[in-house]
Amino acid sequence: MTDKPVDAVFSALSDPTRRSVMRLLSEGDANATEIAEQLPISRQAVTKHLSALSEAGLVTAERDGREKRYHFTPAPFRDAMSWMADVGAGWDSRLNALQNLLQDRT
Amino acid sequence: MDPQTVERQIELPAPPGTVWQALTRGEELSAWFGARVELDPRPGGTATFRFSDGRQRDARVEVFDPQRQLLLRWLPFERRVDGATAVPAGHMRFVLEPRGDHTLLAVTETLFSEERVMTSAGPRRGHRYD
Repeated sequence: MTDKPVDAVFSALSDPTRRSVMRLLSEGDANATEIAEQLPISRQAVTKHLSALSEAGLVTAERDGREKRYHFTPAPFRDAMSWMADVGAGWDSRLNALQNLLQDRT
Repeated sequence: MDPQTVERQIELPAPPGTVWQALTRGEELSAWFGARVELDPRPGGTATFRFSDGRQRDARVEVFDPQRQLLLRWLPFERRVDGATAVPAGHMRFVLEPRGDHTLLAVTETLFSEERVMTSAGPRRGHRYD
């Protein structure tokens, strides 16, 4: 587990461009210029998205000469998925209980 | 589907009136929710959920449309024996639809509030927790 709150992860992923950035990074490390070349947005916009992803712990940066090189770190993403699985399982069990409760009355 | 949203649908063997009571009466909620629930069944009413592990969460009734829709908004904190922790102010939405003498119930739980998502896009009407 990581200490990044899952809502920060979902918030970071709520933007389609950020999801594209993450997908690119999941295929290999890259710097902002390289990412911008593959997306219809400016390098400056890419940098903004990278900082949101970095805040959520989804990417880490390493200095590489004049540019930072970004690396995809999927752990917070897995935590977020596990939140969804937990909440989903919670509802499955609650709704099952509700169904039984109503069934018993009829 | 939003990644921060969990959705479930179930057909319940009771008419919407009965399901509505199971959703809005504290003692009935307590029988299936997995927490001891107190709920003031009116728009703006408060709800308190006490879980068996000692956690307590409060919510506010944001939509109260009898036999049709109920929306409970979590308040942005969770109480524990050793104090309160900030948690995202998501919501639970229940939508009821009659299916003969049964009810189709759709539940949606979101992890965080829309306000938070909207913050980057500018100000939006806020919810007061008073």
